[in-house]
Order: sequence, then C-alpha cells, then structure tokens
Amino acid sequence: MKLDQLYKRIIQRVNINLREFSFNAKPFVDGVVSYDQLTQFYGFYGITSHHPLDFEFSHSNLSGSYFLGKCSVINSILYKSDIRGDELKEKGTVYQYGNFSIPLDNYEGMRIENSFLIKTLVHNYSHDPEMPEKFPIYNTIAMHYANIHGAPMDGSFLEPFATVDLTTTNDCIVGSYSYVQVGELNHFRLAPGTVWVRSKGNFNFLYKYPAQQLKKYIEFTAGEAPKGLLIDFIRNYKDDFQRVFETVGNTIPVPVPETSSVDRFAAVDSETTIQDNVLVAQRALLQNAWMGKGANAQENCFIINSRLSANDITAHGAKIINCDLGETVFVGFNSFIRGGTDKRLSIGAGCIIMPHTILDVETSFEIPPAQLVWGLITCAEDLKTNSIPLEKLKETKGNVRLGEMYFEGDGEILLTAFHERILHILEANGAFFDGNDNKGHAQQNQNISYNTIQPYPSGDHEGMYPAIIIKP
Amino acid sequence: MENYSVTDIMAPVSEYTHLPVGSTVFDAVLALEHTQEEYNCTQYKHRAVLIVNNENKIVGKLNHADALCALDPGDEEDFETNDLLRFGFSGEFVRKLHHKRKRSETLSLERICESALSLKVENLMRAATDSECIDHDANLSMAIHQLAEEKLYSLLVTKGDDIIGILRMTDVFSAVYHTMVEFTGTGRES
Repeated sequence: MKLDQLYKRIIQRVNINLREFSFNAKPFVDGVVSYDQLTQFYGFYGITSHHPLDFEFSHSNLSGSYFLGKCSVINSILYKSDIRGDELKEKGTVYQYGNFSIPLDNYEGMRIENSFLIKTLVHNYSHDPEMPEKFPIYNTIAMHYANIHGAPMDGSFLEPFATVDLTTTNDCIVGSYSYVQVGELNHFRLAPGTVWVRSKGNFNFLYKYPAQQLKKYIEFTAGEAPKGLLIDFIRNYKDDFQRVFETVGNTIPVPVPETSSVDRFAAVDSETTIQDNVLVAQRALLQNAWMGKGANAQENCFIINSRLSANDITAHGAKIINCDLGETVFVGFNSFIRGGTDKRLSIGAGCIIMPHTILDVETSFEIPPAQLVWGLITCAEDLKTNSIPLEKLKETKGNVRLGEMYFEGDGEILLTAFHERILHILEANGAFFDGNDNKGHAQQNQNISYNTIQPYPSGDHEGMYPAIIIKP
Repeated sequence: MENYSVTDIMAPVSEYTHLPVGSTVFDAVLALEHTQEEYNCTQYKHRAVLIVNNENKIVGKLNHADALCALDPGDEEDFETNDLLRFGFSGEFVRKLHHKRKRSETLSLERICESALSLKVENLMRAATDSECIDHDANLSMAIHQLAEEKLYSLLVTKGDDIIGILRMTDVFSAVYHTMVEFTGTGRES
C-alpha cells in the first residue's frame, strides 16, 4: 500500500535526522492515528481575494486538513492539521530583519515534505532571513496539537502540545508541552514542560514544569497514545466539532457583526456573544463566551463560560474556562486557564499569561492587573513564584530565580518584545479596524470559499490524494 | 625544547606513595597528609598518590583536589549545574545559584567528612585515560600542548602498557625557564 510505504519513509527520514539521540520515532507514532482515520476524512482549502491561491499536493495524505495561502505538500501525511498561510510575506514587500532590508521577489510559500503532522497548526511566516521566501517543514513529525509558528524546520520531532515559535529548528526533539522561542535551535533535546524564550544578548527566560505534576495534564510515552487532562478535555468536545464538520454550510447561531469573522469550522453555541472586530478561527470552540471588541480566539482555542474584554488575545491552542478577563490580556499558546464553576478566576487588565501556562484553580482567584504569569499555578501560593508585576519586570536587570523559573538579562527588553508582539497580533487580526482602515483577519477572512479534496477510496492508492495543482 | 624528552624531567613512579584499589578516601587523606609533611620537611617533592591494582599496576592518580571532590560530589540530577549552561545562561549565574544552594545546606564539616570516609579511591582517582597519558618518547613541545589543551597539572608517562613516571607542570615550566634563559643569555640575578 502506498500510504504505508509513505509512512515508513517519513519515519525513516526523521530517525536519520535524529540518529545522534538514538531516537526511534516509530514506537511513538505507530497506531496513534489509525489507517481508517487517515482514509475517511476529506481535505479542504480556502479561497479568498486576499491571499494567493497556489497549492501543490503530491504523493500525500491530507486527511481532515485545511490549507490557506501558498502551500506545497510533498510526500507527507497531514492529519487534521491547519496549514494557515494568511500571514506569509507578500511579493513586492520588504522584509526587515535587524539591519537588513530584504526585498521579496515572490510570495513566501510553505513547503511540507517528508513530514507527518497530527492535528498541528502551521502559521505565521518564516523568521529566517536566510530563506525569506520559503517556510519549509522537512523530515519532521509533529504530534497532537503542536504549533509550528513562524518556524522553518528540518528533521525534528515535536511531542504533543509542543510549540516552536519564530525559531529555525534543525534536528531537535521538543518534549510534550514545551515552548521554545530562541531564534535558532540545532541538535537539541528539550524535556517535556520546558518553556524557553531567549533573545541572545538581551534576555533568557527558562521555566521547567515539575515532571510529575505535568503528567496529570499531558503524558506521552512510547507505545501509548498521548494521555492526560488536556487530551481528555478536548475529547469531551469531539461531538461538537463533528457536527460542525459534517454540516454543509455551518450556520453560526449568534449574530456576528460585519466587522467580525467567525469561521464556519468553529463550534459556537447560542449563548455566545460576538462584538466588533472579533476573530474566531477554525477549530475554535466557544460556549457561553462573551467576546469583547477586538478579542480573538485562534485555532484549537476553547472559551467556555468566560468573558473576554476588549483586545484580549487567546493564542493558538489556549483554553479559557470559567474566567473573567480584563482588557488587553494576552493568553499564550496552549495555555490552560481554568477557574471553578462557581468560584471564578479573574485576570486583571494588561496581564501577560506566558505561552504554555497552566492556571488551574478551583477556589475564587484573582490575578491583579499587569502581571507576567508563567508555569503551573494551582493555588494562590504558587502565584508568588510564578508571576511578577510588569513594572518590576521592567526594572529587572541581571539574573533572577523564582521557583522553577530562571531569568537573565534585561527585563525591559523582554517586556517590550511582548508588547510589540501583542500589538502585532491585534493589528493582524483586525482588532483596530475603524470601518475603513486597519483591516485584518477578522475583516478579510469573512468571505472564504471552501473546496474539498478527497483521496483514492480503495486500491493500492487508498488514502493517497492524487497530485493536484491549484492556481487562480 | 626539542632537546628535552619527557623522561628527562619526569618523576619516576617509585618516588610516589602507592595505594591499592579498594583503599578508602580516609586512607588517601592520610597518605596525602603524609606526603604534604614530607613535602614541607624534606626533599620529597610530590603531592599525589598513585593507585595500583591487584597486579601492582598503576591505574590512576589522586591528588588533593580529587580528594576534596569526595566532599563535594555534586548532584548529577541537579538541573542548575548540568543544564543551565546548555540553555545559554552565564557561568556567573550558575555559580551564583550553586553558591546560594550550598549556603542553604546545613551539613557540618564533620558530617560531610563522615559521609565521604568510606568512598573508594577508584571512584575519585584520575584514571589513566589517553588524554592523561603521554608516551615516554614524546618531546616537551608535545607535552606542553597536551597540558594546555586538556588543562591538566600533570601527565602520566607511559612505556608500552606501563606507567613509568609523572610529568608535572612545574617541571615542564622549569624546563621552559631554562630554555628561555639559555636562548636570551640572561638569568635570574642573585
């Protein structure tokens, strides 16, 4: 069978790249997605007037995956993954990297080759100045709910809920629930639950989850499917998404202002409120959610029984349950923020919840405004070692250890980097649209046509998609 | 320098105290203390002991620093020591964290010594690995390169499978001094 041959080819390519670690991907991946799952779902792509239409699919399986923008998929298996090319660099623009102004002669394109991505999000644009028009993902396996965000990659293995952000990555293993944003990472193995943000010469932030406590939320071992609270939580809402994907022309059950966009592949209930300039991406789930002006919920986000104020950001994969957020709160990638059903969690305005934060409390809990929050917090006591007022961070120079967090460098530069990133996200998502100017995804992603593509239904090519080139 | 070979200036192993494998740290400390007394009072010049196996063959060397390591074994699981450098943190930060942790430990010197008493010398000695050995035919230029490259204070001089002497940095330095004096025609004023 071609699909089986392809699977073995990808495993081998990854193992070759990771041989220095004596790593064998096979026991981690075998059986995690069944053959039936790979052959029963259709792939689909979006057409808009705002993004280039330039797809090439060859010798691949695209089961349940979504594509937007310029993208090639060669010799790869993509299972329920989102390849979202709506922030790729545009032809004729100039990419500024440090002191380099790099003119772009072509649209940037994603190219996925010899890779296996499972429920993975690929988004943003290549931050590698050496290949400004290419965003490659080669010889890589990414497990459930991994995020490859602006991160060209070769020969790497991303465990479940791992995020590689704005980092060119070669021959690396990124452990479960680890987040890395360091610009460039080569031949490195990150243990599960490592949160590492570094700007060389400016700052270095490192947090390591207590291994045993992390296992309650996510555990991934060879020969077993990923397990833990995060997996169980998502599984509870499987039916909600199944309804969305099975229904042709899914109708959003609540009013959506003209300035806002709720993707037809988002699961939204009738108790939800959408205000202006809101973006709700595909595979987001909103139940009894109040989305203030300019707020957003990106792919794989869950917002349940929660109120988001103006310009709140829920980054890819973040989950917010039983919470009230002040204005301009940033909740980073894959964070799990959960208050009690009756004893809610309140997060003050301007707070920055670091990517991959688990804030899981059952008593009434309040985080004051303007705090940086990270790591595992299950009670008020934890907040002493897992947060710092932004004003204090700004004054931090040198080195600090707080609990399991290590910081060295200039806190003000870290804070400025965060604020610039938050501003960029709000701008890109259209939070500041005034009726004429400052359009972003919330306004531009409203009118998307979706076409489906399907694999061979039987025979030697069963599950393989025919070679397809799609252009205007 | 090419005129010197390592055998010209090495100290023969017969000048050193030998301890058999299986000796304890306490045995080593006693031997080292004795060598220190000899060093201070006589012409005996060596502050290390050699470790021999059952066949009386030298298998390693142990000095004061090695013995002190028994009192400060570190922690292989210690993330701060082992990993922070790998993540790009400065040596200064890592040392600061290490010192802070040591200050917080309340073990008395007596307790630390007690816990180290029964350790075996073979677990602390510097084994005769390739990087610690130099052939007896080698010249001093090669020895200087090896001492500098490996950041060692001495080398074990080998002949075939046997260790026949110790080449100490102080002896090499002395040879360098004499060569320079000879070359420039100057010397220490008396």
